[in-house]
Amino acid sequence: MKRELEEDRSTADAGRRVVKGECSSVSGGKLKMWEEEEEQDANGGGGGMDELLAVLGYKVRASDMADVAMKMEQLEMVMGTAQEDGISHLASDTVHYNPSDLSAWVQNMLSEFNNSTNPNPQSSLYSDSLHRIQSTTSCLYDDDSEYDLSAIPGVALLPPKDSSTEIETHSRKRLKIGGESSGHLSPSPSSSSPPFVTTAGIVSEPSRPVVVVGEDSQETGIQLVHALLACAEAVQQENMKLADALVKHIGFLAASQAGAMRKVATYFAQALARRIYGIYSPQDGLYSSYSDPLQMHFYETCPYLKFAHFTANQAILEAFATAARVHVIDFSLNQGMQWPALMQALALRPGGPPAFRLTGISPPQPDNTADSLQQVGWKLAQMAEAIGVEFEFNHIVCSNLEDLDPAALKIRPTAVEAVAVNSVFDLHRLLARPGAIEKVLGLIKTTQPKIVTIVEQEANHNGPIFLDRFTEALHYYSNLFDSLEGSSIGFEPANEDVLLSEVYLGRQICNVVACEGTDRVERHESLTQWRTRIESAGFDPVHLGSNAFKQASMLLALFAGGEGYRVEENNGCLMLGWHTRPLIATSAWQLAPNGSK
Amino acid sequence: MQPNAPQGDTKRKNNSKKIKFSINDHLDILTEILKRLDGPSLCAAACVCRLWCALARNDDSLWEHLCFRHVSSPPLSSVRPLILALGGYKRLYMLCLRPVLSRLNRSGLVPRVRTLQDQVQRLSLSLFCVDYYERNGWLGGDAAAAAPSLRFLCKPVNV
Repeated sequence: MKRELEEDRSTADAGRRVVKGECSSVSGGKLKMWEEEEEQDANGGGGGMDELLAVLGYKVRASDMADVAMKMEQLEMVMGTAQEDGISHLASDTVHYNPSDLSAWVQNMLSEFNNSTNPNPQSSLYSDSLHRIQSTTSCLYDDDSEYDLSAIPGVALLPPKDSSTEIETHSRKRLKIGGESSGHLSPSPSSSSPPFVTTAGIVSEPSRPVVVVGEDSQETGIQLVHALLACAEAVQQENMKLADALVKHIGFLAASQAGAMRKVATYFAQALARRIYGIYSPQDGLYSSYSDPLQMHFYETCPYLKFAHFTANQAILEAFATAARVHVIDFSLNQGMQWPALMQALALRPGGPPAFRLTGISPPQPDNTADSLQQVGWKLAQMAEAIGVEFEFNHIVCSNLEDLDPAALKIRPTAVEAVAVNSVFDLHRLLARPGAIEKVLGLIKTTQPKIVTIVEQEANHNGPIFLDRFTEALHYYSNLFDSLEGSSIGFEPANEDVLLSEVYLGRQICNVVACEGTDRVERHESLTQWRTRIESAGFDPVHLGSNAFKQASMLLALFAGGEGYRVEENNGCLMLGWHTRPLIATSAWQLAPNGSK
Repeated sequence: MQPNAPQGDTKRKNNSKKIKFSINDHLDILTEILKRLDGPSLCAAACVCRLWCALARNDDSLWEHLCFRHVSSPPLSSVRPLILALGGYKRLYMLCLRPVLSRLNRSGLVPRVRTLQDQVQRLSLSLFCVDYYERNGWLGGDAAAAAPSLRFLCKPVNV
C-alpha cells in the first residue's frame, strides 16, 4: 500500500488506482491517524511534515502535500461509493478534510453540528438523492411533505398532481448535510443570487473540488443532482461561464457514480454542454424517433413499446369486431412491429378475418432508400399470406404530418371500410410547429375513423420555462433509466441492446434540453393536456377495457424486474409506469357524435 | 412405461416364436399416449430413445394438445393453420407458452384459472407472431433461436 501510494503519486491518475484492490489492507483507524497528523502539520505550518510521514513509511515532500491531499479527496470520493465487501466500511468510517482550506473545513464542522445525521444504507436511486437535497435545505423550512421541491433554490415545483407519491415511503426526513460547498446553498434558498455566489466558490478552484464525505455514501449523488439543477438554472439565467464550469464539475461527479444515475447525469451533462455552446444539429430533431434503428433496440429490451402496441391493438380489435373491411392508418410505421399481432388477432376473429389494409406514413430518410420501406410492406404481406388475411399495403412518405394530403390516404366510404388511426410517440412532435396539431387532428377527423389510438409519454416537457422542463425531464428519464437497469439484471453486463436503448433515450434527452424552436420536437405533454386538446378537437374518449388491462399486466409480469412496472387505469386510459411514476399512457378516441365542434 | 410387456406363457404354446409386445411397434398408440403428457414429461419422454425423440421432434400434434390443454373453449378451426404457418406448436410451446407460464407461476399469477389461461394463450400467440415477423427474411443464422424481441423470455429471470 505504501509503495503504491508513492508510485502512484508520480503518475497522473493516482486516486483511483490506489483504490483498486489494496484498500482492504488499510484499516479505517490507520487512515484517520494519518489524516490527523496531516491536519496537525497543516495547522502547525510547513516544516517537518516530511519526517512525520516518513515515520509512517510515506515519503512525501512538503511541497507535494497539496497534491497528495487532492488525491486523498479523490480516494475518499471513490471509497464513499464503494459497495464491495471488505471496503464498504471505509465509506462510513472515514472522514477527510482538505487541510489547506480551513474555512471550508470549519464551515462544514459547524453545519454538521446544525444537522443531525441519519445514515441510510439504501442504494442510490435518483428519487432518494433528490429527496435528500430537499431534506438538506429544509433546515429552514418545515419539511412536512416528503417531497418539497420548493426547498431547492430557484427551481420551480413539479406540477402539483400525483408526483408527491414518487418518493418511496422509507426515505423520510433525513436531514443529512450536503457536505461541501453546496452546503452553502442551504442558508438562503429563497433568493437565487447566493447560489451563484457560492457556486462561484467551486469555479474559483476548478481543479480542486472541495469534497467532504460525510457518513452517508450517497453524498456525491446529491451533489450531482444539485449541480445539474444549478447548471440548468445558470443556463436559464444565461450565465454561460458559470454553466460551463458547472458542466465540467458535473462530469467529474458523474464519473464517481454507478449505474443509472451515472448514465442519466452524463446524458444531461452532454445535453447541457450542447446548449451552452450552441451546438444543435438539425439531425437531433430528425432522427429522434422516426424509422430509427435504435428504436428497435428499445422495443426489444423493455416493455414500453410492446405495452403501447398491445394495448392499442386491443382497442382497435374491439372497434373492428364486426367490420368486413378494415383500414389502419399508422403515423408511426417504423418497422411495422405493431401489426403482426393485430393481424393474428383478426385472423382468429370468430367470424373470420376482415380484409386488412394498412397505410403507413413515415418521413423521408436521407440514407434509407425506398427499399427498406418496401421491405416492411413485403414482410407484412408475407405474414398476412401465411396466416390467411387479405392484405393491402400503402406507403406514404411525408416529412411533416400537417402537409399530408387527405386524398393520398384513399379513404373509402365508412359503410365499406372501417378506419382506425394509430400514433405511437409521434403526435408530440407536431407541437413544435404552430398550428400543426390542429391541422392533423382535423385531418384525422376527415377520415371518419372508428377509433383513434394514441400513445404518448406521460411527462410535461413542453413548459415555457427551461428550468421546469429540465427538472421534469431529469425526473422522467431517471425513472426510465432505472427501469432499464432493473430489466437488465438477468443479462450479462454491457448488453448491447440495453446500451443502444439508452443511446436512443439519450437522443431524446438531448433534444429536450439542447434544442429550441422547431428543432425541439420531443415536446412531451401529460395525459391531461392531451385529453383537453383532443376533446376540444371533437373527439370522445373510448375506455380501454379490462382485457387490455389484463393483457398488459400479464405482459409486464414477464419482464425481469417486472415487479417494478405498474399498469394503472386512468379514466379509461392505461398508463405504464415504473414504481409510482407513470411513464407512458395509451388512450383511445372516437368521433364525437354531433360532428365537428 | 415399459417397452417390453411381460411375455406370454410360451410353455403353453408349441409355437417357437415368442409374442412380444412393444409399444414402439404401435406408433399411433404411442402418439396418443404422449399427447396427454404435460410439458416436462413430454420433454423427458423425448430423451428416452431415438424413436421417441424423433416423434417428439417431428410430430407437431403432440404439442398441440399440450398448448391448448387448459383453454376454456376448444380452439377454433382457424387456429391450427395459423400456428402451423407461424412455426408450429412445438415452437409456440418452447418459445412462448412455457416461459410465459413459468414466469407467471413464479410471480404468483396462477394460470390455472380458465380466463387467465385464455389471456395466456392470446399473449403467447401475439408474441409468437412478433417472433415470426422478426425472423422472417433472416438469411442464415440459427433458425431455432428466438427473435431478439423475445429474448427477454429466454434470459434468466432475476427473482
